[in-house]
Amino acid sequence: MLLYWKGCMSRYRTKSIVKSVEKILSYLNINYITLEDEGCCGSILYRTGQIKDAIKITEKNIEKLKSLRIKEIITSCPGCFRTMLKDYSNYYNIPFQVYHFSQFLLKFKEKLKLKELNATVTYHDPCHLGRHMGVYEEPREIIKLVPKLKFIEMKYNRNKALCCGYGGGVRSVYPEVAIEVSKNIVNEIDNNIDFIITSCPFCKYSLSSNRVNVLDISELIAMVLE
Amino acid sequence: MDIFDLKREEFIKWINDENRRKGISRAVSSYVSAKEYVLSKMPELEKIRKEVRKIKEKSIDNIFELLKIAMENIEESHGNAYFAKNSIEARKIILDIIGENKLIVKSKSLTSEEIELNEFLEEHGNKVIETDLGEFIIQLRKEKPTHIINPSVHVPREEVAKTFSKLIGREVKPEIKELVKIAREYLRDKFFKADVGITGANVIAANTGTLFIIENEGNARFVSNAPPIHICIVGIEKIVPTLEDAFKIVQILPPYATGIPMSAYVSMITSPSRTADIEKTLVYGVHGPKELHVVFLDNGRSEVIKDPILKEALYCIKCGGCMYECPVYRVVGGSFGYNYFGGIGIIWSAFTSGMEKIAATIDVCTKCGRCKELCPLEIDVPKMIEYLKAKLVEKGYISKRHKEIRDNIINKNNPFGE
Repeated sequence: MLLYWKGCMSRYRTKSIVKSVEKILSYLNINYITLEDEGCCGSILYRTGQIKDAIKITEKNIEKLKSLRIKEIITSCPGCFRTMLKDYSNYYNIPFQVYHFSQFLLKFKEKLKLKELNATVTYHDPCHLGRHMGVYEEPREIIKLVPKLKFIEMKYNRNKALCCGYGGGVRSVYPEVAIEVSKNIVNEIDNNIDFIITSCPFCKYSLSSNRVNVLDISELIAMVLE
Repeated sequence: MDIFDLKREEFIKWINDENRRKGISRAVSSYVSAKEYVLSKMPELEKIRKEVRKIKEKSIDNIFELLKIAMENIEESHGNAYFAKNSIEARKIILDIIGENKLIVKSKSLTSEEIELNEFLEEHGNKVIETDLGEFIIQLRKEKPTHIINPSVHVPREEVAKTFSKLIGREVKPEIKELVKIAREYLRDKFFKADVGITGANVIAANTGTLFIIENEGNARFVSNAPPIHICIVGIEKIVPTLEDAFKIVQILPPYATGIPMSAYVSMITSPSRTADIEKTLVYGVHGPKELHVVFLDNGRSEVIKDPILKEALYCIKCGGCMYECPVYRVVGGSFGYNYFGGIGIIWSAFTSGMEKIAATIDVCTKCGRCKELCPLEIDVPKMIEYLKAKLVEKGYISKRHKEIRDNIINKNNPFGE
């Protein structure tokens, strides 16, 4: 069974990411389930040193996913992606595969019929997806599927990408710092960029606080589906 | 107000301080472009930095043996070698050599900051003059360093002009060349009047007991050469087995530290100044110092070696590149640290000064991992930060917000508590 794990940020804050992912999944006629009682993946607990609680959540989640016979998980949140794939495996054998939505979507690129989009975009690499999980190219390949879309790399990209400032629990303890850090990225981009594309709800939330148009990769694709 | 609230206020002060932000942002942009250029010009550094990683791994694993060899070789060359378990011991050794009411010139040494040496020596009636331009500026301003390579990174030229105007009693223009000239003139005779010169060292080769001091200004040459006594304070992690190993580190430090192919000066010091030109009779203290004292500092290093995760911090060659590259350091500068700065600095501050000192600061690291990617030794700072954070939480150092998030997750199944 395939599970779409939404992640807390998109369940509560960046809800249009969930809508977009689900729109794309049904467009592709993919059978999947979501969980009413999805809960927390434990990422924030791992990142903020609350390891005992994180491990408890990990155990609970693995048991639940096992009992539901989940074999594959896709998630639109790089935090959940890293945690469920990497952190969980540090403690347990995980009985399922985990993919970030961009990796999953690329496998179906032949089936995507996309409308033209006359715009110039750039891509911000989320830390959890890029540096921590090595997923740099899939989101770029997806962006390049959109006809007429002009793609420009940021000055600092891939493993040298700047950080949006919201990760690791910084946003909650030192919000002023988080906001200021996100400006580092916005200050570096070209004036003729219409959208910053990213593939993380935290990055989207953070960069959006700077009066720039930010789209998650799922939102971009959902927007141009035929 | 708890420590997290206080730290938050300190961060906000840094964010809103236009002068400091200006200083850092100028330094970051010139560093980044210079390094990019030098790395493209010297592709061989890719190989050398990987060799250096191996050298450091091996050296840290054999640190006590290397320490013994280095100390024996220094003594054999008529130097004096000391081992200090902690800052108190190190300060006492140095005070015993110097005594009271002396004039001391210093070149930049993070290790001396670590043991708060200047304050201690001045309490005993000595006058200490920092001669590295950046250190000199912040010493005059009664501030603390905010970057390990560029300690006055947060002070823009306009502020330096104000400080120097006060020093020499006339109006000074904020022109960088003019400011440098003033420092040169003011410090020139201090080197020769000084009773003692104190330096750090960037590397030590155990097989000859040779100290390497890498610099651009030429002040460390004066400090280590003009006064009759030279004291070097150095962390035990700086020792590598051979001269050949040391040269590898010398090759990667300047490009990564300041974006230059090689520093203006690399001093190699193996013994006090000596001659046997008259009747083959060996006499010490010709033009250089008569005495060389090398103080090896432990101060938590031998403890951290035992920790399989944090041990990696000792591989750091202190180029400081990761600080300029850190998205958070760019915003909060020197408040991201205690006596060492940035992500790696949090780890260093924790084992040299106590983890309670960085208990609130550690939460400003986003664990983004950019430092690891840009570190010549690929040191995994985010991994160490997460590990140290977990230790702090075990000791009860957790912010109200993180605790609230935890409670929300447990009770309401989401971090927002909605």
